[in-house]
Amino acid sequence: MPAARVELRGVSKTYRNEGQPVEVLHDVSIEAEPGTITALLGRSGCGKTTLLNLAGAMDFPSAGMVLIDGRATSDLSDSELTALRRKRVGFVFQSFQLLPTLTVLENVELPLLLAGASKSAEMAHERLEWVGLAEKAASFPYQLSGGQMQRVAIARALVHSPDILIADEPTGNLDTASGDQVLALLAESAVKFGATVLIATHSTEAAAIADVRVRLRDGRVQAIERA
Amino acid sequence: MKLLRTLILRPLRRDLLRTALSVAAVALGVATIVAIDLAGDAATGSFRSSMESLAGKTDLEIAANGGVDEAWMGPLTALPVNARFSPVMESQAVVPGVGVVPLFGLDLPWAAGVSVSKALAARLPRGESLHFEVAGRAADFPVARVVDVGAEEFLALDVAEAQKVVGRYGKLDRIDVTVAPGEDVARVEQAVRATVPAPYLIQKPGARSEENQRMLRAFRWNLRVLSYISLVVGAFLIYNTISVSVVRRRAEIGVLRALGASRGAVLVLFLVEALLLGIAGGALGVALGRILAAGTVRLIADTVNALYTTSRPSPVELSWGEAWTGLLAGAVVALVSAIAPAREATGVTPTEAMSRGAHEHHARLRWRRGLVWAALAATLAVAFSQAPPLGGVPSGGYAAAFSQAPPVAGAPAGAMAVAFSQPHPVAGVPAGGYAAALLAIAAAALATPAVVILIHRMTRLVAKRRVESMLAGRSLTASLSRTSVVVAALATAVAMMASVGIMVGSFRETVSVWLDTQLRADISVGARIRAGAGEHPPLSAEVPALVKSVAGVAAVDVYHSLEFHYRGERSTLGAGDMDVVRRYGRLRFLRGEDRDAILRSLPHQDRAIVSEPFAQLHGVRAGDRLTLPIGDRSVTLTVSAIYYDYSSPQGYVIVDRSTLLRYLPGQPVTNLAVYFAPGADRNGVLRDIQLRTAGYGVTIRSNGEVRRTAMAVFDRTFAITWALEAVAIVVAMLGAANSLLALVLDRRRELGLLRYLGASAGQIRGMILTEAAFLGLLAGILGLALGFALSLLLIFVVNKQSFGWTIQFHPPGELLSGALLLVWCVTVLAGLYPARVAARLNPIDVIHEE
Repeated sequence: MPAARVELRGVSKTYRNEGQPVEVLHDVSIEAEPGTITALLGRSGCGKTTLLNLAGAMDFPSAGMVLIDGRATSDLSDSELTALRRKRVGFVFQSFQLLPTLTVLENVELPLLLAGASKSAEMAHERLEWVGLAEKAASFPYQLSGGQMQRVAIARALVHSPDILIADEPTGNLDTASGDQVLALLAESAVKFGATVLIATHSTEAAAIADVRVRLRDGRVQAIERA
Repeated sequence: MKLLRTLILRPLRRDLLRTALSVAAVALGVATIVAIDLAGDAATGSFRSSMESLAGKTDLEIAANGGVDEAWMGPLTALPVNARFSPVMESQAVVPGVGVVPLFGLDLPWAAGVSVSKALAARLPRGESLHFEVAGRAADFPVARVVDVGAEEFLALDVAEAQKVVGRYGKLDRIDVTVAPGEDVARVEQAVRATVPAPYLIQKPGARSEENQRMLRAFRWNLRVLSYISLVVGAFLIYNTISVSVVRRRAEIGVLRALGASRGAVLVLFLVEALLLGIAGGALGVALGRILAAGTVRLIADTVNALYTTSRPSPVELSWGEAWTGLLAGAVVALVSAIAPAREATGVTPTEAMSRGAHEHHARLRWRRGLVWAALAATLAVAFSQAPPLGGVPSGGYAAAFSQAPPVAGAPAGAMAVAFSQPHPVAGVPAGGYAAALLAIAAAALATPAVVILIHRMTRLVAKRRVESMLAGRSLTASLSRTSVVVAALATAVAMMASVGIMVGSFRETVSVWLDTQLRADISVGARIRAGAGEHPPLSAEVPALVKSVAGVAAVDVYHSLEFHYRGERSTLGAGDMDVVRRYGRLRFLRGEDRDAILRSLPHQDRAIVSEPFAQLHGVRAGDRLTLPIGDRSVTLTVSAIYYDYSSPQGYVIVDRSTLLRYLPGQPVTNLAVYFAPGADRNGVLRDIQLRTAGYGVTIRSNGEVRRTAMAVFDRTFAITWALEAVAIVVAMLGAANSLLALVLDRRRELGLLRYLGASAGQIRGMILTEAAFLGLLAGILGLALGFALSLLLIFVVNKQSFGWTIQFHPPGELLSGALLLVWCVTVLAGLYPARVAARLNPIDVIHEE
């Protein structure tokens, strides 16, 4: 399985709010190695989600570079970025973001369908079995618990065996037991699939599974701790 | 008020495009109604004869079928009443360089010569005498006077001179009675009635105008019904807009309820939203309608002139009353359409800020209930379609009509048709047909959710091959309540288009076949004057003999037609040479009666044949006896048979000319149907006829020309119907665009998520366009099915009950498939902008906006 090294080199990100520039990230430099989990820690508004979007090739830095396997995302065309997300990045969100109109299986299958992959249903089933929800394949999201929904979201994020897994507060809406299940799956994804995992979190449990902990404060890196 | 501002006005402002589309849908609906109403008023507003301007006010009119004998002037003037009796002739003259103008014969107080209205005089070359032509005869008169009566154009002669130039010696069109101040009009009427023959008509002035308006009331009512289609389609869209508002603000409503807002307050909020859209659309629609009316007047006036009676369009005038009516129509329709979704909003409990997924799941479960109601409505529709018409109430139904094609002579002028109705209660109201049509639409609307699910299931395997198709189909079925409303609106518009298309196509084909059968004569000869419905310009008396004398002419059917009054209605009395019709014509009778025997039974007998519309209008059957006032006599005719005819909604009574001339000896000939001898040099015969009749003011038209003219008038008459259908389709398209935009805005988080999951902008665009295509496909399938059902109702129930005309079912396949393809393409086009919006959404913004 190919692996991706994600590197942010002197990254700054500035938004404009009512005409005024607001710097969300300032001169951030971090590295995330394949098969490792990097946790981004810090208060709300410290820039965790922005950093994840940059690392997931959803956005471009205002200054500095985001390199995936040594190639800057800002050098990629729109179609190359789409292809990158399709094949090499998986996302998990705090609020699950499952499509209510699709069944559990179809939700998991969706990235493969968008990429035009064959045998998508079989692969989706495989991932559902891995997260322990094969029996819920035909259910709709509103028929699941929060924990189950997040496990489905993880299955979806990993269905195409991405090199990079981005998880934004994956346990933020879950009870402790469900949160532990989800964290176990994320940890396993790094080991089993060799993915480069980046997690934004407030939770100490989530931070505990990380190989690297990056503490952010007001858009700046305060500390980088390695396990 | 603050709640209104934050919960209703602010979102309306935020979704400005969607608000504009909703307002535009109402505006177009209202504009159509206003335009048809104003144009109808203007096109039919002026039946007042120019003569009234000249002769002044009268109190009574004495008239008779076939003309009033002038000999009655003596006994009338000798009556011991204080009233003035004035003889009147009305005809038409052709003035070189000007065209056809009314010609009046009056008892003028000034010197002999022709009087010219000032407006006409302004268009004439200066000179002391005026040359013109009447019934093929040239006339020269010194100009006696120029009369200033406004913008009207006419000529006036002394009545004796008029009789001379028209060639109707001893006959008057009517006698006007002016009662002196202080004299009792009723006493004068009584005295007149006791003097003149019983069959004479004595009526108040303006009765004819009222008769015209009554005759046109149903025509206009039917136009109005068609014009309301757009507003009905608009109503679906307002329903949809408010439904979207409710779904999108479900959480806000829940919060409001939790904070103490009553159900009533929530209801009022959403009704006010609809009312605002309705008022804005209504106001815009009134203004737009005023503009559209100007372009519509000519179309309506053409139909009225061709089918019913002569009218002169007057300027379009928008009154406050009409403006308020338009505004009210917009407001009421919007309000009524919003009641159901607004009530749904009141059902949101304070603890319920449910997700859309769960809400839509309920909708999905309700489709079975809708299907049961649809089946019930469809059953009722079938039952109502079998119901007999209600008698005795004025109404109208679809049917069609032609103008002044003398059916026996197989001749001239414009045979043509339109699909509008009866002025009378005779045939009864096709209430069952209308109720069945409404129930069929309701059934289709109720069945829409089930059809959406069914079609989606049928296409699911195919759709799954492309992720865009799968997502589009899933999204539409998931938003079932919303999708169903849009599909129902589009399907209603498509169904109206299809049903009217099938009806008109069937009618056209029936008429075309009928014309092929009916028009057997090689040429027809008529007066050069262009005549409208109800006008029968005479031919010069010498013309029939001249035509008969041409070598190569095998037979000439000499035809007389005149307007007559029967049981308070106007119809046409025709008389032809039945022997010629029998030998050369192809008249078709109902129930396959023995054509030869029927036509042989007519000459010299008080027997008649009547057209199908006349029979239906007056409830006449073969063997019945009709008592017609003809001239001074009441003549009882036995109805030998009923024949197929599509040329006049008022119908014909046809006798042999020997019978007519027995009662009206001087009745002029109006048309000739000329049959060439087998093997004759057709061009040579035609040239000879042209040469012999030159200078008699005739127009000669070949069989093909008559046929082409008839079909051209048919098509022109239906132009307005198609225009109204087109507006309904445009409104439905606005709805489709509006709805797709709502779906995009409502699902923006999902669309953003798809981008996170690797969807390209093209895939998102393709998904929305696929949704549009799916909507168009569903609407096409449902609309076509409903359209077929409605066309059967229109042809076999509404038309049959209103007119009794037999129309063969001939769906115009190419036209329908072309129109459906067009509607489908336009629906996809309507998805372009929403697709663009969807593709341009910033995924980061929308995914984190919660």
